[in-house]
Amino acid sequence: MNEQIESLPVLPIKNSVLFPGLLMPLTAGRPPSIAAIDAALASEDKELLIITQRDSSIESPTVSDLYTIGTKAVVKRMMRRQDGAVNLIVQGVERVVLIKIEQTEPYLVARVRLAPVPEETNTEIEAMRRAILELSARAIQLAQPNAPVEVTQMLAENEEPLQLTYLIGSVLGLPVEKEQGLLEAPSRLDALRLLHSYLLHELQVLELRNQINVQAQGEMERQQREYLLRQQLRAIQEELGETSPEQADAEMFRKQMDEAQLPHDVRKEAERELSRMEKLPQASPDYHVIRTYLEMILELPWAKSTEDNLDLAHARQVLDEDHFDLKEVKERILEHLGVLKLNPTANAPILCFVGPPGVGKTSLGQSIARSLGRKFERLSLGGMHDEAELRGHRRTYIGAMPGRIIQAMRRAESNNPVLMLDEVDKLGRDFRGDPAAALLEVLDPAQNHTFRDNYLDLPFNLSKAFFITTANTTDTIPSPLLDRMEMLRLSGYSAEEKMEIAHRYLIPRQLKESGLTDQQFILTDEALSHVISRYTREAGVRQLERAIGSLTRRVALRFAEGDTTPMIVRVEDLPEMLGPERFTFELARKQLPAGVATGLAWTETGGDVLYIEATLLPAGRGLTLTGHLGEVMQESAKAAQSFIWAHAEQMGIDPNVVRRSGVHIHVPAGAIPKDGPSAGITMATALASVYTDMPVRSDTAMTGEITLTGLVLPIGGIKEKALAARRAGVNRVILPRENQKDLRELPENVRAEMEFVFADRVEEVLTAAIPDLAPRLTMPKAA
Amino acid sequence: MSLFFISADAGAAMAWRPPADIYRTPQGWIVKLELAGVQQEDVNVVASGSELFISGVRRDRFVEEGWSHHSMEIAYSHFERVIELPCDLGRASISIESHEGLLLVRVLTSHEEEKR
Repeated sequence: MNEQIESLPVLPIKNSVLFPGLLMPLTAGRPPSIAAIDAALASEDKELLIITQRDSSIESPTVSDLYTIGTKAVVKRMMRRQDGAVNLIVQGVERVVLIKIEQTEPYLVARVRLAPVPEETNTEIEAMRRAILELSARAIQLAQPNAPVEVTQMLAENEEPLQLTYLIGSVLGLPVEKEQGLLEAPSRLDALRLLHSYLLHELQVLELRNQINVQAQGEMERQQREYLLRQQLRAIQEELGETSPEQADAEMFRKQMDEAQLPHDVRKEAERELSRMEKLPQASPDYHVIRTYLEMILELPWAKSTEDNLDLAHARQVLDEDHFDLKEVKERILEHLGVLKLNPTANAPILCFVGPPGVGKTSLGQSIARSLGRKFERLSLGGMHDEAELRGHRRTYIGAMPGRIIQAMRRAESNNPVLMLDEVDKLGRDFRGDPAAALLEVLDPAQNHTFRDNYLDLPFNLSKAFFITTANTTDTIPSPLLDRMEMLRLSGYSAEEKMEIAHRYLIPRQLKESGLTDQQFILTDEALSHVISRYTREAGVRQLERAIGSLTRRVALRFAEGDTTPMIVRVEDLPEMLGPERFTFELARKQLPAGVATGLAWTETGGDVLYIEATLLPAGRGLTLTGHLGEVMQESAKAAQSFIWAHAEQMGIDPNVVRRSGVHIHVPAGAIPKDGPSAGITMATALASVYTDMPVRSDTAMTGEITLTGLVLPIGGIKEKALAARRAGVNRVILPRENQKDLRELPENVRAEMEFVFADRVEEVLTAAIPDLAPRLTMPKAA
Repeated sequence: MSLFFISADAGAAMAWRPPADIYRTPQGWIVKLELAGVQQEDVNVVASGSELFISGVRRDRFVEEGWSHHSMEIAYSHFERVIELPCDLGRASISIESHEGLLLVRVLTSHEEEKR
């Protein structure tokens, strides 16, 4: 080996690597460095060793702080600065390996061996060279899109691959470790490969950087463009004398406010909100909150009302057209009209329609509105359990809205609509509040002229509105609420009334729905009555209407299929058209054994007949009650038993029987819950019958409350009960005397057909019910 | 990017290039190179085809004990210059001489050669 060994002064450098063949400007300030440079310049060849420090923070490096491979260099230019530091330009000559440090003071002198990269050429090196040229061209394009083409060309002209590698490696701005790695590469191919990997990485970084730049630039440009266009738009609007959208909004509101006839304090509040809105930019969320609020205020009918039609004849006609019977309710409406005629400022009444489903409560409300010429609005309270739904949320909440009452007023567009609050008995309540309590304010004529919705936060006058509530039962309505309303009961309809309703309303309506004329479909009275009794069981007429609807649809289908002969529906046709009869009546049992009495019950769907059975338990004791009886009914049974025991002797009952055997009372059907005191006399009768072993008249039903002293107290639901008895074929009914007045509710023909017995005392009931017992009973003198 | 140009310039060879004037003479050519401070024996001239390779070393001999550089602009160490002439130099005779800091390279060619 022809090894060349020489000694050179050492100039350690930081943060960069000098490659052979390349020029590098340097500044040296450290005294040992300056001494080394002086030594080099003092020599004839001006050569020194440039070697890189491993750690750039070390100020006086020793041999262990230096890489072992460096570059022999020639000083090309040199200039001393004022401050003593030295600027110089050096050019790398050859790669060298540091053998040892020969001298450390005043400057380092190293013994080095020249270690040029071995010369070689093969196709792989050439391939690498071209790949690197290509990559570097792309890198230059990315890093400096404006770089002259000559740069790339110049690189390509550089035939010597190692020089190319060093050149590109020095300009990439690589970390020192990587540059040093390039310098230390043992062969040309290794150097090329290293550079190739560095270039690839650099290219990726550059591409990413470019992408980020492009994105950022795009975003900036878009924003700038938008801003510019907005400014231009503003300028154009100003030039044309137009106003900005915010101003236009405010102008519009101001105009509407002038037209809206707002009450004084409302106007003041609206003005205040408007001026607040004007100060906000349109993009602010508050702007839209205020805007919706103002729209709400302007849409509410503060002073707008419809004119009442006070023509009594017209009102009566409308009410009669829409509903059959319901005399009491119609009278009440007409009374109110009469009052309004004399005193236009009178408060509207607050009515509550109570009755079973399907009797026409809601539609009655509509026809009241029609007869008065008022707007009709309906809101269902069923299942509502949040006070805020009625009264609204305060505006501090996001998405706050006024309550249902205020919204209904807005929809009605007048401050005197008929406002129907449906299903008031089905209000819920939970931890969020009690909507019934909020209704108290709404429905109190003394308070509701300043109803305050949480959202609106302004007093609104509800006193002109005609409130109607509906309910199926009053039991679940809180008493303070019940107290505010005028109760009107709509009881169930009798079969005759249903016939009438069917003829007047249901059949014409269903014919119209099906597209038939009254010549094409005829329902005989017998068939209709059969539908009423055998296909429906209800107090109202909904099921009936559905049944008629399916009949008309059947006929319509026949017509559509081409058979155009008019259809007369008779009783015989019904099973084919509607299916088998759905309800078989519990018709009066022909003969009752001793211990069974016929009672009458009121249910939400009307009345019903029920048989109360009593039997002696020879070896048992006490009183057993079955049939899902409520507490009140059980107590009523005990009172009946006590009365019979107390009067056993008078009725000729064997005291031993009373003493030795228990008694069981059962009320079928066992699955249906029953409650209430009205079966008192029935149970007493059944007990008297079972103890005396004398049967009760099978054509007699009875209802009434019993007391321990044998008084018969009045009960409710007389109409439904009487109708149920008649339906079952029981035409003799024993009632408390005080209920005599309620018989007025019954239709004339029903009253004529039936026999009513009125009783003040249990003895009278027993006399009427158990013929065999009658001779033994005497009325107490004091009665 | 300026570094590119410097480097590329130097990258062609590690040597520096002295400026040169070229004269046509009745006998041939004279190449005048600005090479002050270069000793004649340190210069090497070779002809090959129509090219004239001039290379050598400038050593800084003019330094005495106790001197130190304050600044340095003169290029020392290896220099190299390739000059192409419009004739074949195969048979030319070449001589060099130093004159007032300039190096003169005389190239004598026969006229017949040139006419061809």
